[in-house]
Amino acid sequence: MTILIAAPQAASPALTILVAATAALSATSGLGVVLSRRPLYAALSLVVNMLSLAILFVVLSAQFLAAAQIIVYAGAVMVLFVFVITLLNPLREDSPVREPVQVGIAVFLSAAFMALAAVMFLGTSKPGVFPEVDIVAGATPFGSIQDVGTQLFNVFAFPFEVTSLVLVVAAVGAVYLSRGK
Amino acid sequence: MPNLGIFLLLSAVLFITGAAGVLVRRNPLVVFMCVELMLNAGNLALVAFSRYHRTTEGQVFALIVIAVAASEVVVGLALMVAIYKSGRPMDIDEMSEMRG
Repeated sequence: MTILIAAPQAASPALTILVAATAALSATSGLGVVLSRRPLYAALSLVVNMLSLAILFVVLSAQFLAAAQIIVYAGAVMVLFVFVITLLNPLREDSPVREPVQVGIAVFLSAAFMALAAVMFLGTSKPGVFPEVDIVAGATPFGSIQDVGTQLFNVFAFPFEVTSLVLVVAAVGAVYLSRGK
Repeated sequence: MPNLGIFLLLSAVLFITGAAGVLVRRNPLVVFMCVELMLNAGNLALVAFSRYHRTTEGQVFALIVIAVAASEVVVGLALMVAIYKSGRPMDIDEMSEMRG
């Protein structure tokens, strides 16, 4: 990880190839979520998508967030998804998509927004070159647990507490919703 | 290192894919997964901007988004199970009303 962070950014073709391959994998698995007929295959595509995003987080020197992404998303959330899918197995859909008109409108809007995003993010005259994140002795590395934790418990202590409240409410709500009659 | 535009474009692609899935698919579980895809796309943009500005705030936001998404999934899947137990068909168009 340190190598990735400290690498000189001007000349690192390996990093470019890694990012390109991961981005392609991410986009493909994202399409897989939408296009696969069976919910279980969609869930597995989503796991691949989340893992590829975790790789991109490491490249963006968000090491702690990458770990959290793998543990919380690819671990806990997706296990829950797969569990519910297998529990509610007879989800055989007669037609997995809606009316053709609806699909047509959705595909058209998606293509339009995709073109807009490509023009916006690639056709700009100012390339957003990432600044160097170098490791200074004694300073906390950018994106480390220490760095994120300092922010979280000093500046964002109140949102953190509210988040824990949200989690408790969600847990209680889930127990209430799925209780036996 | 690829520049910011690449990451934002990937984020936009994932978000649009997820939005199209929400609009198109009927199975509520798949719709949920597409919502997760959209949240992940937002997280990627937050982390990319955090790296671009060299501030950690974006990563903290992304962490909170992950926590909120997890609780959203918990409630949503509990709803799915409750609807399944009540014997209704698992179709998003059948669930368009809030009343039971």
